[in-house]
Amino acid sequence: MRRYDVCIIGAGPAGLSAAIEAQKLGMKSAVFDENHRPGGQLFKQIHKFFGSKEHMAKIRGFEIGKELLEEAKNVGVDVHLDAVVMGIYEPHRITVREDDSITSYSADSIIVSTGASEKTIPFEGWTLPGVIGAGAAQTMMNLYGVRPGKKILMMGSGNVGLVVGFQLLQAGCEVAALIDAAPRIGGYGVHAAKLARCGIPFYLSHTVVKAEGNGKVEKVTIAEIDKNWEFIPGTEKTFDVDTVCLAVGLTPMSQLLRMAGCKTKYAGGTVPVCDKFGETSIKGLFASGDVSGIEEASSAMIGGKISAVGAAFRCGFINEKEREQKYDEYSLSLFKLRKGLFSKENKGRTDITKTDEGIDLSMTLFKKGYMTEEELKKFVRNSEIKGPHPVIECTQNIPCNPCEDSCSFGCIHVGNEISAVPKFDENKKCRNCKMCVASCPGQAIFIVDNDIGDGYASVSFPYEFCPLPEIGEKGFALGRDGKDLCVAEIIDVTTNKAFDSTAVVTMKVPKEMSMTARFYRKEVPVNE
Amino acid sequence: MSKIIDRSADIGEFVPEKDDDILVCRCEEITKGEIRKAVHMGLYTMTEVKRFLRPTMGLCQGQICGENVRRIIAKELKEPIEALKETTARPPVRPIEMEVFGNEVEKL
Amino acid sequence: MNTSDVLIIGAGVVGCAAAYYLRKNGVSVTVLESDMIGNGGSSRNGGGVRISGRDPRELGICAYGVKNIWPTLSEELGIDVEYRQKGYLVCGYDDSHKRLIKDRINTAAKFGIKMELKEEEEIRSLYPYVSEHVTCAGWTPSDGVANPLKTTLGYYIRARENGARFITGEKVLCIEKIKGRARKVITESGNVYEAESIILACGYGGRKILNSVGIEVLMQKKLEEVIVTEPAPRLFDHMIGGMSGFYGQQTEHGSFVLGSSCGRETYLFNKSNTVSTYSAPSFICDSIGVDIPALKKLKVIRTWSGWIDRSYDAVPIIGNIEEVPGLFVSIASSGHGFGPGPAVGFILSELAQGRPSPVDISKLHYDRFDYVKYQDRYFVSDVGGSFS
Repeated sequence: MRRYDVCIIGAGPAGLSAAIEAQKLGMKSAVFDENHRPGGQLFKQIHKFFGSKEHMAKIRGFEIGKELLEEAKNVGVDVHLDAVVMGIYEPHRITVREDDSITSYSADSIIVSTGASEKTIPFEGWTLPGVIGAGAAQTMMNLYGVRPGKKILMMGSGNVGLVVGFQLLQAGCEVAALIDAAPRIGGYGVHAAKLARCGIPFYLSHTVVKAEGNGKVEKVTIAEIDKNWEFIPGTEKTFDVDTVCLAVGLTPMSQLLRMAGCKTKYAGGTVPVCDKFGETSIKGLFASGDVSGIEEASSAMIGGKISAVGAAFRCGFINEKEREQKYDEYSLSLFKLRKGLFSKENKGRTDITKTDEGIDLSMTLFKKGYMTEEELKKFVRNSEIKGPHPVIECTQNIPCNPCEDSCSFGCIHVGNEISAVPKFDENKKCRNCKMCVASCPGQAIFIVDNDIGDGYASVSFPYEFCPLPEIGEKGFALGRDGKDLCVAEIIDVTTNKAFDSTAVVTMKVPKEMSMTARFYRKEVPVNE
Repeated sequence: MSKIIDRSADIGEFVPEKDDDILVCRCEEITKGEIRKAVHMGLYTMTEVKRFLRPTMGLCQGQICGENVRRIIAKELKEPIEALKETTARPPVRPIEMEVFGNEVEKL
Repeated sequence: MNTSDVLIIGAGVVGCAAAYYLRKNGVSVTVLESDMIGNGGSSRNGGGVRISGRDPRELGICAYGVKNIWPTLSEELGIDVEYRQKGYLVCGYDDSHKRLIKDRINTAAKFGIKMELKEEEEIRSLYPYVSEHVTCAGWTPSDGVANPLKTTLGYYIRARENGARFITGEKVLCIEKIKGRARKVITESGNVYEAESIILACGYGGRKILNSVGIEVLMQKKLEEVIVTEPAPRLFDHMIGGMSGFYGQQTEHGSFVLGSSCGRETYLFNKSNTVSTYSAPSFICDSIGVDIPALKKLKVIRTWSGWIDRSYDAVPIIGNIEEVPGLFVSIASSGHGFGPGPAVGFILSELAQGRPSPVDISKLHYDRFDYVKYQDRYFVSDVGGSFS
């Protein structure tokens, strides 16, 4: 039997962070992962993360994965890949399948960071090939470069559904619609807005009636549901799609913890009952990341570190004072992430109508994925401002502040409370560097110049599609709802290293469109 | 400790539903209606339904359908999902060939 | 309200069967179960329905079940209990095993049960899936297998349907006598139940309850472990066991359910639950791979374990208790209580109605351990795939 001070199960964001922290605290650490590649879901995450600098905000998930892996190697963590933990046994013993054999490992502490798996929702035809999890779609696209389908219906409007929906567009798939049984879009408004301005319709209070097809999905029917989840006759809509992506939530993969016999409770799935360090009812057995309750990668990384601190104390590597100091530091960081409209305590609430600042939330954003101009006006004052300046269409309290950091000229203010709605300081001068546009993980900042002469305005917007538009090319300016507004001409396309693959495209539109034109589509000549 | 359940308590008649023939457990091909009927036969725990009908007993060991099965049974018993005890999680967490499982080695 | 003609403690295969047969005769029944239906040995066994390899004292009950109950049980319950009488093959590896098999054949013959010794050549042609490691085997055509889960739950479902009252999660603490007769049961929750007769059939937990009326039985708790594979095309339909200690079947469903113990379970640290130990499943896979190489590529999808309530001589204790009139017991099934379970349930239901047992059970009496004389010493062997 091989011994470590701490064995960590799962090399995702929580597990790797825990391993690094544990090793730094002097513990001989090993992390086991059943996959060939470490990083858990991080390597599928091609979007920029939210949060602030300390949470590695505005860095793309897979880059964070690379950084964590590099650090784990540097500090001397043993990373076991293709290593499936088969069982966990009292006291603190695990059996691991590696290659064609089983080996037992023991440790004074075990940290379980096995993450979560996708929930499913049975409907008529859900077992047809072509009904897949959104996570599976992401794996196909972002790890293996395979399009999951040609035309896709996304079920679920939480952040997973929104983010993957957008990535499907980026991969060149057609997204027919995004539907959710809930009456409100569940994820960030800024994520929804990215889809809406690409013209993707949202159907709230809708669910799938059936998927049909000859041996595979060819057609999907959805319908509106009433309060009792009964279909409302006559509301059926049919889409000719070949794929249905399910983004209907995640459930913790807590089998190992349950097997070990620790106390559990139900929180959208079975999670262990833990103290503030993630220690379960079994001494020395910790849980961190999604397996201890579904959140996201940023908080999982901090959770992992906190568990490592708990484990280090449990094994006598640090004293109580050191433990509490570390805990205070990390929990503060976690606290910042857990605030705002989408925090745990606000989850599922539909009675919140104002931001923390007291501004009316956009109800259209909840229903359709975009804001009306009237709603936006409560957040953004535009018409009198001269010269290029940021128009920040980030109107919900989300813990995120890269925009503030990105502006060297101090134009954007978020403040200590990172879930505050960012504000443009009109007393400062925008130099049109476009850093804020590229840095915003929600792609919600636009640089608008209301008057560039000859009755035109310019609108700069983030663009993450291939191929990039070319300067001088003409197409349609699209509104927030993705509808054609007017002819637009591309007058600038900026890419640079600091933008990290996000191009900032500037289009020329008639003056009166400066606050409505938010996206662009190249006009495809009729004869092509 | 398990809670006390009088198995003769009235949970109402089995009422057919439109989507009863939808497969819930894909590994063992068990439908929603079969699970609901089993509850009305007196199988009031997830483990009993599993043992009688086999949902969650296949290759995925309930990873995919477990929560759906649990919800269906709980609903039939008119109880919140958390009131219904889950089945026991058991090794191996992933299916493993017998020859590999039997090949326990000492690694130093 | 908590009064019935018969009170049954334990909703395992015996308790559920007894409840079913009592209801058939219109007797009012309450069944108290500390956990849930059939969560002990009744659900945790290889599903063997076997007469061979039995101690002569329990052979009568086993034979009664195989003759009178099992063949028509699916029909009777209207639930397929997957009983099939396709024989039992016990694999041996050397001459000592051959001698053991011959002994069993002799015992079986005395009771008119046909059992044969299979020599190497015959094994190769009749059972090509067993390896050359197997050099001799015992074959009993009248043995068979069933599905323990469906049998136990099947009896429960029909007994409940016919009006038996089952209360689960109700842990019995003690039995109390009224005017010298077992009449009252008190549970952990403080509830009191009364009946004319009490049937005790709750495995190892029954020991403490018996203690409450001054009765002690010689029992031990022992862990037995099982692996379950993914379903596979049919390889064989008989029960199989080996002198290495394993036993099992390929179920109707196609999966293999194979059990054994690695001998270390009893000595393991603080084993408190029925999740398998870290060593036994590997041991089972290893040893079965030697005997049935075709299974080596199959995937194990689940392992589990269960407690055996083993008596001093590994033979069950069944019948009435003289000191406690009105109390009828079936405990210490010793790891082979599923096969005879329905018959035991039937017999206890008869006893509880004041009728005699249809077979002689006098040698299964609980007080057989009371007087130890040299010639009475029981030589007990764990070897031989004797578990059902």
